[in-house]
Amino acid sequence: MNRTASIIIRRLGSLLATLVIMSFIIFMLVEIMPGDVAQMILGQSATEEAVTALREARGLNDPVLQRYGRWIAGVVVGDLGDSVYMQGVAINSILWRRVGHSMVLALTAFLMFVPLSIFFGVLAGVKEKKPTDSIVSFFGLATMALPEFVSGVILISVFAVQLNWFPIVSVIPIGESLFQNLNIVVLPALSITMVMFGYISRMQRSSMIQVMNSDYVRAAILKGMPRKYVIFRHALKNALLPTITIIGMNMGWLFGGLVVVETLFGFPGMGSLLMTAIKTRDVPLIEACVLLITVIYSLSTMVTDIMYSYLNPRIRFQGGQR
Amino acid sequence: MKRTLPIVLLMLILAVPTVFAGGNKEAASTEKAIRIAEQVPGLITPGVWDGQAFSMNSSIYEYLIEINTETGALDPILATSWKTDDGSTWEFALRKNVKFHDGSDFTAADVKYTIERTQDPSIGHLKKQDFAVVQSIETPDPHTVIIHLSEPRPTFIYQLTDYNMCILSSDYNYASLGESKPMGTGPFVMQQLIPKESASLARNTNYWAPNLPKVDKLLIYFVADIDASISMLESDRVDVVPFVTPVIKNRLDKVEGIKVISPYQEQRFVAMVTDMKPFDDNRVRLALKYSMDPQIIAKSVAQMDLNDGVYYNETPIMNMLAEYKELPLRGRNVAKAKSLLAEAGYPNGVTVELYYASDHPFGKELAQTIQELAAPAGFDIELKGYTRDIYLSQYWLNVPFSITGWGGRIDPSMLLALAFKSGGAWNESHLSNPAVDALINKISAEADAEKRTGYYHELQELFYEEGSLLNVQVPYLVAINEKIVDYKQPLTMLPQYKYTDIK
Repeated sequence: MNRTASIIIRRLGSLLATLVIMSFIIFMLVEIMPGDVAQMILGQSATEEAVTALREARGLNDPVLQRYGRWIAGVVVGDLGDSVYMQGVAINSILWRRVGHSMVLALTAFLMFVPLSIFFGVLAGVKEKKPTDSIVSFFGLATMALPEFVSGVILISVFAVQLNWFPIVSVIPIGESLFQNLNIVVLPALSITMVMFGYISRMQRSSMIQVMNSDYVRAAILKGMPRKYVIFRHALKNALLPTITIIGMNMGWLFGGLVVVETLFGFPGMGSLLMTAIKTRDVPLIEACVLLITVIYSLSTMVTDIMYSYLNPRIRFQGGQR
Repeated sequence: MKRTLPIVLLMLILAVPTVFAGGNKEAASTEKAIRIAEQVPGLITPGVWDGQAFSMNSSIYEYLIEINTETGALDPILATSWKTDDGSTWEFALRKNVKFHDGSDFTAADVKYTIERTQDPSIGHLKKQDFAVVQSIETPDPHTVIIHLSEPRPTFIYQLTDYNMCILSSDYNYASLGESKPMGTGPFVMQQLIPKESASLARNTNYWAPNLPKVDKLLIYFVADIDASISMLESDRVDVVPFVTPVIKNRLDKVEGIKVISPYQEQRFVAMVTDMKPFDDNRVRLALKYSMDPQIIAKSVAQMDLNDGVYYNETPIMNMLAEYKELPLRGRNVAKAKSLLAEAGYPNGVTVELYYASDHPFGKELAQTIQELAAPAGFDIELKGYTRDIYLSQYWLNVPFSITGWGGRIDPSMLLALAFKSGGAWNESHLSNPAVDALINKISAEADAEKRTGYYHELQELFYEEGSLLNVQVPYLVAINEKIVDYKQPLTMLPQYKYTDIK
């Protein structure tokens, strides 16, 4: 247990270092974006004196490192600053609402694609080279090949336009909350499921085949254990390891990187907010969104690593000794 | 147990969508609400308002006067009457018993504050230049304002219809609240503003005009993607979508229950910059003009006929205005264009980059048409399309050849000083022509309407011979649900939702 704790502490340390480096890179990238923030805020016809006054008021004339220090100091205490376009409106009040929406979408998609892909992946792996395997593999490949903006449009035309089961656009009616309109989550979540199904079911299938052909499983079958017992008790636990890694590595994307899906469906989440921020060149908001996505990516990778080492003692012990 | 586990899992997955299902829910309410899908606004504080979110701001704020969409005349709004001597002193009688949304009274001090605010250097007010002519403002009583100008401006009153000149409360802190809590005297009050997402406006119960507004609510969604807005319109989630393109119009024309209307014409100025190569030579500008075919432009840009939806001329004056002088269309003459180019020193043709906003309606279509039409005459045009924000912030005003959208102005002189006079803030063709400057000055100072029209005609002739632009006028298109009646939006671009009703 001590070893696990030391791994976690070490991981947390490297996470912190990653975030510090990333925050600097994000700040610098936005910094070298063409265009002057003060000029952008005031528009084309702004007088030179107005631009200068605003630059001074917002501290834009300070050295880069000083501005970075100020920004990061704000971030540490949870103050992400003000949006360029919404003077007096803290980014916190825009961002967290969207993060909440994105979490609901991510969770729904997660509940759909994880059991579905693992189940069919195991099925295909166990029935290797049989018709079931071919069908599952075909669907896996087909959905993997379809980008979400294509599968999304197909879903919209079938379920929203033809069958009218779900709304075409995932917009929350004004004055209502997402929880009163959970039906708007389904089509974007299905679209994500279609993307993820291919990856995960194929990964699950191949690791299942590998494990099923390993000596200990063969021994278990030969000694007369029931096949189902062998599959679920012995094979599945080991075959899940690579799948968990893949799922974990995609969690960051799932929580913060759904720019295409959210924009396509008009879903008010983090991805579409980032898109809007980029389109309106709202620099502080871009920085806040990208930093948050980095945090989510790093955290999910860390959690995956810890889970992996917990499930796989070889990694745990090796890692602990090194 | 082990056998049932996968089956239970599978059923759970299949059950998820059914739990969420339920089709399109309609909020059960007797309130009349107009739902609008608009672009995501940038700055909305009056003075620096960048011309998006028209539905929202025009419903919260009000002006001294507004344009009547039927007659084109000026309607009294916060001013009940006005008079001027020779155009250098303007006296306004203000409406009584008008309240701002925060409960304060509307008085002459607010008008004075609004106009003086244009000169505040910390704001960067977009109307700073136009109101620099104001010398002093008197408020003899709470309902009278007298504005003294430093020189006669007979058409000064039209400046007060500009969308950035809505009347603000002198007691309200617009610097810190203008973006988050907009507040005026308008027919609707801001109820809830969710940044980058939506705005909910409720009827102003203290509104001065009886029986207006006609609906209880305006629900405005900010949607970044025009296709998503159209999907919302088609699925009856919104009633109004402004800024649609001709391609979308053609599709929507076949959809039952939706119509596309054109409240007014907009302009696309194709600007040839007069101090950059190759358009610094008038012969090159003429060569481009001779290579154009207005009928083909109308057809390929908007699938409409010339003078039936699309208009074309080579001057800053729109064809629909009284000041317009009809000058003969040049007619496409490639041989003449070629010889003009050769005379100007480009016998083997000339290469030039054309900059435009690719996501602005008609922008890309017009750029491609110009490229095709000008090619045989020897113009090798390289198209440089950027999204509107990047185009405006980084290229516009600094490139030799560009296409920019310009709203019409009810008084064309408002646009002349801005875009064609030496030193004008938006002088995109870098025009510095003493004859043009002199005519613009005469136009803004001339009190006699007939004489003024004469100057306008002279100006147009000048532009025809040595001007720096092609003026393609296209319809501004709004897609609306047919149950929406009395949608009004004059040339000032400000929708008048107080008159709009639902069948």
